[in-house]
Amino acid sequence: MRFSTWEFYLREAGRSLIRNRFMTLASIATVALSLLILGAFLLGAANLNHIASTLESQVEVSAYLDEKLGPEEIEAISAQVQRLPGIRQVNFVSKEEALERLKEQFGERRDLLTSVEKNNPLRNALEVRTQTPADVKPVVDGLKKLAGVAKVSYKEEIIERLFALTKAIRFTGLAVIILLAGATVFLISNTIRLTVFARRREIAIMKLVGATDWFIRWPFVLEGLCLGLLGSIPALILVVRFYHWLAAGVYETLPFIPLLHPASVLNRLQPLLVGLGILVGALGSAISMHRFLRV
Amino acid sequence: MIVFERVTKVYGDNTYALDNVSLRIKKGEFIFLVGPSGAGKSTFVRLLLREDLPTKGRIMVDGVETRQLRTREVPFFRRQIGTVFQDFRLLPERTVSENVAFALQVVEAPRREIYRRVPQVLHLVGLVHKSRSRPAELSGGEQQRVALARALVNNPPILLADEPTGNLDPETAWDIIKLLAEINHRGTTVIVATHEREIVDKMRRRVVKLERGRIVRDQERGAYGSEI
Ligand SMILES: Nc1ncnc2c1ncn2[C@@H]1O[C@H](COP(=O)(O)OP(=O)(O)OP(=O)(O)O)[C@@H](O)[C@H]1O
Ligand SMILES: [Mg+2]
Repeated sequence: MRFSTWEFYLREAGRSLIRNRFMTLASIATVALSLLILGAFLLGAANLNHIASTLESQVEVSAYLDEKLGPEEIEAISAQVQRLPGIRQVNFVSKEEALERLKEQFGERRDLLTSVEKNNPLRNALEVRTQTPADVKPVVDGLKKLAGVAKVSYKEEIIERLFALTKAIRFTGLAVIILLAGATVFLISNTIRLTVFARRREIAIMKLVGATDWFIRWPFVLEGLCLGLLGSIPALILVVRFYHWLAAGVYETLPFIPLLHPASVLNRLQPLLVGLGILVGALGSAISMHRFLRV
Repeated sequence: MIVFERVTKVYGDNTYALDNVSLRIKKGEFIFLVGPSGAGKSTFVRLLLREDLPTKGRIMVDGVETRQLRTREVPFFRRQIGTVFQDFRLLPERTVSENVAFALQVVEAPRREIYRRVPQVLHLVGLVHKSRSRPAELSGGEQQRVALARALVNNPPILLADEPTGNLDPETAWDIIKLLAEINHRGTTVIVATHEREIVDKMRRRVVKLERGRIVRDQERGAYGSEI
């Protein structure tokens, strides 16, 4: 197709976007809002998933030991643990080491811990890694039966809950997204329908001087694409701003939460949002074309 | 070659806009379609352009029957017929040049051609000075000439003009008719629907007279009235 023809289509689309300013703005705002919500959901789901898998890779069982035990007793228990089936590795972590670790996790906010430093409330512990995740349960049971072991904990529960939460968010997210996309497509198709209706006489004349159906349709298709594209831009800006702000805040105050790095997520999210905006716009015009432009 | 074969067009239950019309128009002919108001002239135009299909009978242009055209083919069929509509059918929100250029854009003419051709035809119909006006700012006669310019701009092999002089003073009317004759001289088939006796009588071309949808007279080098 010729360049001048595309120029013609673009000019036509622009003309009608400007002529229906109000509907144009309403459509753009709807697209933007929908994409914004979509972006928030996607970021939330991606991060929860990331947190859950980070924690999963760290599954281990901690056996907290009685306060009174001396070094030999600890040695003996450690040997007993080594003999349990399904054990891969046993590490002794003194309560001082545990406090050090905690400080590291708190990073710049370690001052929060100064009050507990003098009277360390943590316990000596044996950190146990199993050979497979399936071994976790029997090992936990085995540890609980040992004398000198005060408490056994493992992180699996919290991980399972996180995964469940991720799933729930994905699910509601999907439902919300489908609803929003439906509403957006509807609004865009309505905008374009109005244009088609306002120009029905003109369309009839175009046909009489020999315009093909696609010659008439293209400006409307472009109009839909423009609405989608224009709507995706504010959504994009807001999502990017928000996530940078959130990530900076989390790194500062809650450094142990493993948020995805802004650059890596946003690089994938941005083309997705723009693509979806365009898709929604195209779909909207396709629907109105199908229903209202029986040319 | 344009062929009407026993063409009947019925509107509603009982309005025979065309009634059993058979007619052959050879390539390069100049023909006046005359008759009183309501005789069926505009219906003839509408059917030839395949804006509508006949109720009965066949219409063929260069062997292609309008009824057989697929939807996709209709635009290309119409492009060989430049039409001046009785009610002009200009695009109200576009300027005179845009209206004329439009017929070229539709066939995806290159931009250079559009820039060359539009002023050329506007000059031909004497409207260069109005090229930036919109139809609503023009007189009836000026709108009519824009419609003619749009019909001419593609150099179509067939020119179909429904009352192209209806709103013009006699002098301008003559200029337009001479323009049509000139175009015809260069090989274009020209069909003019009119009820302007004076012009028809002076031109001495083929005259087909319709009355209540029927052809009542078909005469080479004819006149408006039946005498002569
Ligand atoms: N769309 C329509 N629906 C119903 N009747 C119609 C329609 N179009 C035309 N007619 C009728 O068909 C007949 C022929 O109309 P047509 O427009 O062809 O006449 P015409 O010869 O062009 O008249 P004029 O010289 O006034 O333009 C008229 O009786 C008219 O009322
Ligand atoms: Mg008429």
